[in-house]
Amino acid sequence: MSRSSSQALFALILIMIAAGFLVLNMGGFLSPVESLVLRPIGGAQSWLAVRYYAVRDLLASPADVATLRGQVRELQSENAQLQQEIIGLQEQVAQAEVLSALVQYARSQPDSRYLAASVISRDVSPFLRSVWIGAGSDDGVAKGMPVVTDRGLVGRVVEVFASVSRVQLITDPSSVVNVRLQTSRADGALQPQLNGEIWVGMISQDAEVSPGEIVLTSGLGGNYPPDIPVGTLTSVRRRDYELFQQAVLQPSVDFQQLELVLVITNFQPLPFNQSIGP
Amino acid sequence: MAYIVGVPLLVLLAVIQATVLSNVRLLDGAPDLILLAVVAWALTGHARQAMAGALFGGLLIDLLSGLPLGATAIIMITVVYLVSLTAGRFWEANLLMPLTTVLWSSLLFHGLSLAVLLALGRPLELSFALGRVVLPSTFLNLILALPATQAASSLAETFYPPEVQI
Repeated sequence: MSRSSSQALFALILIMIAAGFLVLNMGGFLSPVESLVLRPIGGAQSWLAVRYYAVRDLLASPADVATLRGQVRELQSENAQLQQEIIGLQEQVAQAEVLSALVQYARSQPDSRYLAASVISRDVSPFLRSVWIGAGSDDGVAKGMPVVTDRGLVGRVVEVFASVSRVQLITDPSSVVNVRLQTSRADGALQPQLNGEIWVGMISQDAEVSPGEIVLTSGLGGNYPPDIPVGTLTSVRRRDYELFQQAVLQPSVDFQQLELVLVITNFQPLPFNQSIGP
Repeated sequence: MAYIVGVPLLVLLAVIQATVLSNVRLLDGAPDLILLAVVAWALTGHARQAMAGALFGGLLIDLLSGLPLGATAIIMITVVYLVSLTAGRFWEANLLMPLTTVLWSSLLFHGLSLAVLLALGRPLELSFALGRVVLPSTFLNLILALPATQAASSLAETFYPPEVQI
C-alpha cells in the first residue's frame, strides 16, 4: 500500500471515529464522559479567567488606577511581594462590588432563588453567542434556567455538565425571548440579528411605542419569568403596510464585560421542544 | 514523545482560545490556535500525528462550543489530510507556502464549519459570516502562521532529529 493511500485510510478511520462520537453524542450517551472531561478543563478555564480578568481590568482601568499602578511600581522596587498583593486585592474589590450588586438585585427579587456563577469562557465557535459558567448540575443548575445579572437578562442555560454549563445569550440569533414594553404594555419578541443588534419584533401596529421605553420579559411561552429587564428601545420603525412594528433594543447587560452572573434556580421552564414562540 | 507533548499542548491551546482569545477578537474573528497547531505539524511531514491531533483538538473545540461533539473533529481531520498531501512537496522550497497553506486551510475550515451550522438549521447570513468572522479569523491565522510553523519545525527537529550518515 502506498504512503498516500495509507494516509487516506488513516484519515478515513479517524473520520469514522469522530462520526462515532457524533452519533453517540446525538444519542446523549456521552454526557457523563463530557462532564468528566470538562471538570478539569473547567477548572483550568476558571483559573485562567480570573487572571485574565485581573490583567484586563488593570490594562483597561481609568487614570486614577493608572496612578495607583504608578505608585505600585514605586513600591515594587521596595517590595515586589506587595504589588502582587495589591493586584490581588484590587481584583477582589472589583469582584466584591459585582457580588454586592448581585446580592442587592437578589434581595429585590425575593421570589426567585439565585445561584452566583462566574463566566469562565466564551463559545469557541465565533458563529455561536454563548458563554460557559463555572456551575453545573453539581450546584443545582438545570437546562432551561434563566441567567441574569443585576442589570438584566443574560440568557438561559442550554447545556449542563457536572461542573460547568453553557448559557445561550439573548444576542444569539436562535434564542427566543418574549418581551413586554413597560409603558405601552405591548407584547413583542426579541429578534437578535447576526451583526449583534437586537430587534424587538411582533409589536402590534396599534401600540404607541416610543424610543426610551424599557423592555421586560413577558413570561409568555414559559421560557423566562416575567418582568426581568432586558433593555431600552433606541429607535422604532413603523410602516403602515407591515403587520407589526419593529424597534431596536439596547440591552441593559454589557455582554463583553460579563464576569459574574446569577442563575435563577427555582424557575421551572417549559421543556425545550414545548416552548411556545410568539 | 510527540503525543505526550501534543495532548497537553492542545488542551492548553483550547483553554487559551476559549478563555482569552474569545475575549480579544478582531470584529468577531479569533485565531484558531488548534487548527494552526495541527496544520503546522502536518507541514512538518508527520501527517498521521497531525490527523490524530486534529481528531483530539476537534473534539476539544466541540466540547468547548455549542457544536455537536465530533463535527469539528471531522472537519479538522479533512483539512489536515488535505494539507498533508502538500507537505514536503512545496512548502520547504518556499517561505510563502506555509502562509498559502494556512490561508486555504483556514478558509476551508470555516467554510465547512459554516456548512455544518447551516445543516444544523442555525440562522446564518453568509456575507455577514464571511466579513465578520471568516476573513478576520483567517487574517489572524495568517499573522500566526509563520511563528506556528517555525515552532512546529523546531519541535519536530527536537523529537525527530535528522539522521546523519557518517
